[in-house]
Amino acid sequence: MSVTGMSGLNGRVVGQRWYTPYLFMVPGLLLYAAMFAWPAVIAVQLAFSDYDIVNPIRWTGLDNFARLADDPRAWIALRNSLLFVVMFLPLTVVAPLFLAMLVNVKLRAIQAFRMLYYLPVITSMVAVAVAWKYVFNREGVVNWMLQLAGLGPIDFLFDRHWALPTVVLLEAWKNAGLFMMIYLAGLQAVPADHLEAARIDGANGRQRLWHVIVPSLRPTFAVTLILSMLEAMRAFESVYVLTRGGPLDSTLTLGYYIWSKAFEDYDMGYASAVGLVLWAIMIVLAAVNLAVTRRKDV
Amino acid sequence: MAARRLYRRSRLVDRRVVRRAAFYLLLIAVAALFIGPFLILLSSAIKPATQDVFGFPPDLIPRPPVVDWFREAWTTIPYARFLVNSLIYVGITVPVYLVVSALTAYPLARIAFRGRGLFFMLFLSIMFLPGELMLIPRFLVMSQLGLTDTFASVILPAILSSLGIFLLRQAFSQIPDEIVEAARVDGANEFAIFWRIAVPIVAPTLAVLAILGFVSVWNSFIWPMVTLTSQSKFPIALGIAYLSGVSGTDVRGLAAGTVLSLIPVVVVFLLLQKRILDSMGGAVKG
Repeated sequence: MSVTGMSGLNGRVVGQRWYTPYLFMVPGLLLYAAMFAWPAVIAVQLAFSDYDIVNPIRWTGLDNFARLADDPRAWIALRNSLLFVVMFLPLTVVAPLFLAMLVNVKLRAIQAFRMLYYLPVITSMVAVAVAWKYVFNREGVVNWMLQLAGLGPIDFLFDRHWALPTVVLLEAWKNAGLFMMIYLAGLQAVPADHLEAARIDGANGRQRLWHVIVPSLRPTFAVTLILSMLEAMRAFESVYVLTRGGPLDSTLTLGYYIWSKAFEDYDMGYASAVGLVLWAIMIVLAAVNLAVTRRKDV
Repeated sequence: MAARRLYRRSRLVDRRVVRRAAFYLLLIAVAALFIGPFLILLSSAIKPATQDVFGFPPDLIPRPPVVDWFREAWTTIPYARFLVNSLIYVGITVPVYLVVSALTAYPLARIAFRGRGLFFMLFLSIMFLPGELMLIPRFLVMSQLGLTDTFASVILPAILSSLGIFLLRQAFSQIPDEIVEAARVDGANEFAIFWRIAVPIVAPTLAVLAILGFVSVWNSFIWPMVTLTSQSKFPIALGIAYLSGVSGTDVRGLAAGTVLSLIPVVVVFLLLQKRILDSMGGAVKG
């Protein structure tokens, strides 16, 4: 830190006044206040109120939360969101590691393959959903392959047993490239001499994976785990574009329930209460994650 | 003896070639998983009306390829309007995003002041206020400000991101002190140092953020859907959702409209892929 080195915290550097740093941050702070802090305050206020857009906001205390406890659809949404996490985790924390190992080689064309695997990450969910509706159509390519195997047909997006797994698969497929790149960065930091030493000691591929690669990827796992959980908990866009929560609420996630309560029923207070619960779950997940991965590091 | 050695060596080479070929096949098979859906979309978009989109076995080669569906998508909805809107959203949001992020990150990296860590945490907390949870209160704030259904309401929430401030802070703090001190001795004030010295040095980070910003604005869908009611202000992603809701849209027309909407991001991605892919690793490692 040159700045402190030259003058210390109290003496100012030439051309700097006490307000200089704040002056720089004025636009950022204003936007933070208007687009994040103020809305967050309103969100909490609404969670304890009744609001239907037409009539003024009315304070109702804990009513929304009492309603929430007795609302079977809220419990369905919670269950679906947790199921989402459970299915999403292996698909984004485990599978992309193998993807990253696959592309962690020195070949001339490898960058092109990484790019192809990454393509779904940068395309819009709306577009991807359209593509998936063709692929998972009752007479689409996936059902054709199932038929070749003597199975199906399955109405993936209209069957209440298959709809949620299909939405999860779409989210995982769309995010796989991102997780792959995160792992790739981690893999490239695995000390080559450790791998070489393991190889000389006669460790086979699986042993090298378990005893050398996985332990040194621990910080990376901390990132992918939390990213995956939060992504799954707040899943909404994919549900909206693929199934709208249906059929029969089988893909009703907390995120979708909030949206539908707020912007279809105009039950903004109640929707905000659900939002507060979702937010609390995400914070707890993040905190637990941090605690667990920290402890392992020590 | 020599012949045998030669034979053994050629077998060794053979095996290596086979192994390499198998590896490429595996890479290609995985690639098919990731781009297959896009190829099927493209095939549907250029199929003539007489050819089935679905059916067993899949009939994916268009006979003959036609461009009619692109015309159809273009005229069924005000496609050009949506594209222009998206360009406006990107054209305003991304530069403002870069300037605001840089201004915010600079003091957090290079000026010693009380509460610096706290301010940094404050901006990082944006990560825990995801857009999905901010829909309702932001909708209310926009009503209070009288901004619902305006371009501004789409742009304003997209300007701050914790990733932008995080990456730029890191880039600024890696600038060698000597460079800054030299300018300071020459009498440059802090803003001049920021604008003329620090910003050009972090240009690579700004470029990465510009790409990521472009992609995220181009694809944004939920918030525009909530705040916008006038079709004339829809970005393209919302336009595609609208197209899929228009009754009587042919599946081929929808596919064509969707393919068209993908072209700008895919082109930007292809042109700048090395930078994007390199940055992803860096962002996480950082």
